Amino acid sequence: MAKGTTIEVKNLNTWFGRKHILKDISCYFEDNCVTGVMGPSGCGKSTWLRTINRLNDTVGSFRMTGEIFIEGKDIYAPTADVYSLRRRVGMVFQRPNPFPMSIKDNITFGPKLHGINDGDELDEIVETTLKKAALWDEVKDNLEQPGTTLSGGQQQRLCIARALSVDPPVLLMDEPVSSLDPLSASKIEDLIVELKKDYTIILVTHNVQQAFRVSDRAAFLYLGELVEFDKTAKIAEAPSDPRTEAFITGRIG
Amino acid sequence: MDDVKSQLRLDENEAYEETEDTGYHPKAFNEFERWFKRQTTIHGRRDLKDLLFKMLLSVVVIIVCMPFFMVLIQVGTVGMGVLLGSGPGQGLDFFLSTPGPGLQGGVLNAIAGTAYLVGIAMLVGVPLSLFGAIYITEYTRPGFMRSSVEFAADVLAGIPSIVFGAFGFTFLVIYLRIGMGMLAGGLTLAFMMIPTVLRTTQEALRQVPMSLREASLALGATKWTTTWKITIRAAFPGIITGVLLAMGRVMGETAPLIFTSGNNLGLPTSVTGPGSWVASMPYTVWSYISDPRNYVNDKAQATALTLMGMVLLIDLIANFISRKVTRRLV
Repeated sequence: MAKGTTIEVKNLNTWFGRKHILKDISCYFEDNCVTGVMGPSGCGKSTWLRTINRLNDTVGSFRMTGEIFIEGKDIYAPTADVYSLRRRVGMVFQRPNPFPMSIKDNITFGPKLHGINDGDELDEIVETTLKKAALWDEVKDNLEQPGTTLSGGQQQRLCIARALSVDPPVLLMDEPVSSLDPLSASKIEDLIVELKKDYTIILVTHNVQQAFRVSDRAAFLYLGELVEFDKTAKIAEAPSDPRTEAFITGRIG
Repeated sequence: MDDVKSQLRLDENEAYEETEDTGYHPKAFNEFERWFKRQTTIHGRRDLKDLLFKMLLSVVVIIVCMPFFMVLIQVGTVGMGVLLGSGPGQGLDFFLSTPGPGLQGGVLNAIAGTAYLVGIAMLVGVPLSLFGAIYITEYTRPGFMRSSVEFAADVLAGIPSIVFGAFGFTFLVIYLRIGMGMLAGGLTLAFMMIPTVLRTTQEALRQVPMSLREASLALGATKWTTTWKITIRAAFPGIITGVLLAMGRVMGETAPLIFTSGNNLGLPTSVTGPGSWVASMPYTVWSYISDPRNYVNDKAQATALTLMGMVLLIDLIANFISRKVTRRLV
């Protein structure tokens, strides 16, 4: 069972082409808690999240300076192995994106990549991860069904289970409920709170209320700048920057 | 104008009366009658224009569809006569025997030849265009390289098939000294199908949402694993459809084969050399139809009917696959 780990970001700057997206960000994500990253659309939230599992590397025009340490190791060091990094940093996307295969194969895809081929072990992973994602009871009799036949909310929980299947200490979530109906959304919010016992979770959202409900610590990102990073309760009650206050009261963004 | 108006009132009254005594008509007929009335009742000049235009369009549609039915009737009646007959080279014998003396037998040589040629074309053409499309779509960024390959493929797809035939002859048969036969014919057909399959595969790959690839990469998969296990899998119905459509197309090509595959009244006996000459269905249609003997002409129609049936079957399969698996993605 995974236990969360800490992430340290030092002087992070990123560009897409000539566009400066993230501007000199330094912060520290604590383990076993949910950090909510808020900010208006286009402020660089997703980019920030995707630097942590180096998914931006796949975009041709991406460039960055600065360092990110996970458990004290620089993930952008020339010797760093990007595949084992991504095994340790799971990701859930904005829209549910199950693979076009059965529910079971969706879960076993990751473990198989990393050399787990034993049938019983895989079955056990399927069961435990689906249980963690609160989906087991709904699908345990239909594991051979295509993942795409599930409802939107179930698909998103399947994607969470898939991310957990390789047992990563860190879980990145990029607006995981923004395309779901309110009921499914609240189920997933509950799930996030449940999961923080074992994982370090970074949750990107443009929904302030959601960030307040779910997160322990919150960051406010505005136009690529990290404006505020503090305990959620503190930000909710007395934000120290006027821009944060403007955002959470709905005047900007 | 007044005239039209009084006419219109009259029409309305009539329509009204018609609808009153509904009891005598069966329901469906009654509804049809009302529908027909509504279509043809003229309420003024603009309606008249509308009606005339509607009629014009339906005449055009009939003219457009006519060749299809005429071909079907012509090929169908004569061809069916052969396929259902019981003489020599008729009925099942038509598919199972070679022409023999006086071309009295069936066209097994042509059916087998087309199978060989299309088989070779697929064996060579499909992997090449598949890997080409994967490289272009997944491994290069949009830019000069990609657009020049796409441009070349589009131009190739538009080249008349006789040019492919001439190229196959000068390059494969003469320059590379492969000689005429199934190899040269199959390779020429492969050249023809590559641009189509490449482009449809590219299109299918492009339809796969980016987030699917990212989900796989985020689990620690390599680019190749992601492409092979996720992207191609998601694009598979589209790829298969493209392959089948291209296959159906090259199946009916005569021009590329005239100088490359040769002809053969029996089955090919070797892969290279003169023994590898093969007949093909379109080529057989062409040579049989120009024969002076009537019963040979009839066999040409039967061959054409069989070919049409095969192509139709392949298209139906392609259609079925592409429709059945449309629910697959987010």
